[in-house]
Amino acid sequence: MTTPILEIRNLHARIEEREILKGVNLTIPAGQVHAIMGRNGSGKSTLSYVLAGKEDYEVTEGEILLNGENILDMDPAERAVAGIFLAFQYPIEIPGVATMTFLKAAINAQRKARGEGELSTPDFMRAVKEAGTQLNIDSDMLKRPLNVGFSGGEKKRAEILQMALLKPALCVLDETDSGLDIDALQVVSKGVNALRDANRSMLVITHYQRLLNHIVPDVVHVFSDGRIVESGDKDLALQLEAKGYADFDGALA
Amino acid sequence: MRQTMPVRLGAAEDTLIAQLKSVGADATAERITVAGLPTRRVESYHYTDLKTLLRTIPPLAQAANEASAPALRVPGAYQLMIANGVIQAASTAPAGVIVGKAHGGVLTTRDDVLVHLNGAFAKESLTLTLENSIDPVIQIDRRSEGEAAHVTDSLKVFVADGASAVILETFSGSDAAHVGNHATYIALGKGATVTHITVDLSPRAAAHFASNEYHVGEGAKLRTLAIHAGAGLSRTQLFPRYEGAGAHGDITGLNLVSDGQHADFTMDALHAVPQTTSQPLFKSIARGRGKAVVQGKLVVARDAQKTDAKLMSQGLMLSDEAEILSKPELEIYADDVVCGHGSTCGKLDEESMFYLTSRGIPKEEAETMLVRGFIEELVDPIEDEALAEALHGIIDGWLLGGK
Repeated sequence: MTTPILEIRNLHARIEEREILKGVNLTIPAGQVHAIMGRNGSGKSTLSYVLAGKEDYEVTEGEILLNGENILDMDPAERAVAGIFLAFQYPIEIPGVATMTFLKAAINAQRKARGEGELSTPDFMRAVKEAGTQLNIDSDMLKRPLNVGFSGGEKKRAEILQMALLKPALCVLDETDSGLDIDALQVVSKGVNALRDANRSMLVITHYQRLLNHIVPDVVHVFSDGRIVESGDKDLALQLEAKGYADFDGALA
Repeated sequence: MRQTMPVRLGAAEDTLIAQLKSVGADATAERITVAGLPTRRVESYHYTDLKTLLRTIPPLAQAANEASAPALRVPGAYQLMIANGVIQAASTAPAGVIVGKAHGGVLTTRDDVLVHLNGAFAKESLTLTLENSIDPVIQIDRRSEGEAAHVTDSLKVFVADGASAVILETFSGSDAAHVGNHATYIALGKGATVTHITVDLSPRAAAHFASNEYHVGEGAKLRTLAIHAGAGLSRTQLFPRYEGAGAHGDITGLNLVSDGQHADFTMDALHAVPQTTSQPLFKSIARGRGKAVVQGKLVVARDAQKTDAKLMSQGLMLSDEAEILSKPELEIYADDVVCGHGSTCGKLDEESMFYLTSRGIPKEEAETMLVRGFIEELVDPIEDEALAEALHGIIDGWLLGGK
């Protein structure tokens, strides 16, 4: 059996004294898209932050393996180089840093860390243009400071653009549908679907089934009180939509 | 009856008094004798106590025999040099620039020790008359050369009605404990547009003092950017006066202080007539035990109705020991004005750091990006590309050079 892209084993994490993740087990084989659904406050976003290495969270137990390698000792930049990409629910505005400058810095930092040469400016411009066209991102938007004054849709499209350029092994999409109207949702979903690949896995975190009509998952997990309480195929999402989360509360208790 | 206590004078004051007497400036010598250098008890020097910070004054500067390398070269700039207070012969001036000399100093008298000292010691002033819009950047390269010296120099610029110019002043010199006292007076005619940039690149051992007086005429637009990136002790005083309706000033400054440095911007702005506007913006970045000071005062005269002025000071602390002090003052005598001030101070935003590092950008590089981003608002309005690039170079040099 080949090594899965992501394997989470009995993951416990807390912020200050409060335990939020209480034993998460999750395996995503290469090429698969898994969705995590759960109500607000169930710990879904925490899982995404812990995967990306945010300092506020302390992992007290368990392991996260990316391509078989434990990443818990890595800082966020090292994890990105190893292949994790988190598309933020609320992308951060960075005044004074042009989006283009940031994209180039991120791509070249990752290339450098992997021992590859920096991308030449023409190659970089070509890559950005190619990825941008598909997401309706024009060069004016890229000249603006990163995420500053971007609409909700622009922010999410910019996240997917970064994902397309950085070519991660694992894409974690945290509530990518929040703040998007139907048109924007379609553009973003199309961008995400274009990145589906036999060597790439995705973890789509959402609390609406709506997104999963556009990004169709291989497996759906239900998240409740800091752990996965149920897993199934995409029909599980429809079931959740119809019945709500109440049936799953305390399923593992 | 008020009791007068004799002020105990230190070595720096004794030297200053002797130097003042040697140039015949008895009145100023008398002031120092009576009051000494200002201490924290003097409001405008509260955070920059010269009596404590300025322990010695080097001998008065002699004409320089040698020159250090230029601190900043801007391609295409027209350069003029003042070395150790002496105006150097200049190359042919661009059309519309009249270069001259005047006897003595240039600043309007005010109750300020640095202004008094400059007036007492300035033997001659470089004068520039800009008759029309000048394309090349005009660079005044002010040097303190040779052994440690007490250097005084002075510049006066008249900008004709409707003319525009970019004036860059750089302060640098040999690696010695110089004390520099520099004056600049710029008068903007009706509808004139001036960008005035001053960059202190003095050696760490030096003390750098500059007083910039601006007279902004009707409809004239002034943008200034003063950068402290050199001397161990620096203070730039900014005295803009808005003297005609429609006059506008973007007075900006950047303190870059490392361990052991002290940098101070003190602005005293006067909105003298109705319908003038200003947006002073000061930024300070401090690391190690660096200390940055921003004092901003807006004075609105009695009949200066419809004044619109907003003062902002923003600080970024890169260490726990750094200190950033910010003091706004509003003195408003008119009753129909919009005046305000704001101040922020903090460390690099952790959420922003996480965002950048989560894209694979290493921590140090992400910090540099955020600091550059913090400063960009000051450099971005400068349209001359070569000049903006040179300023970025100075800022990057500070960011990447040691703690």
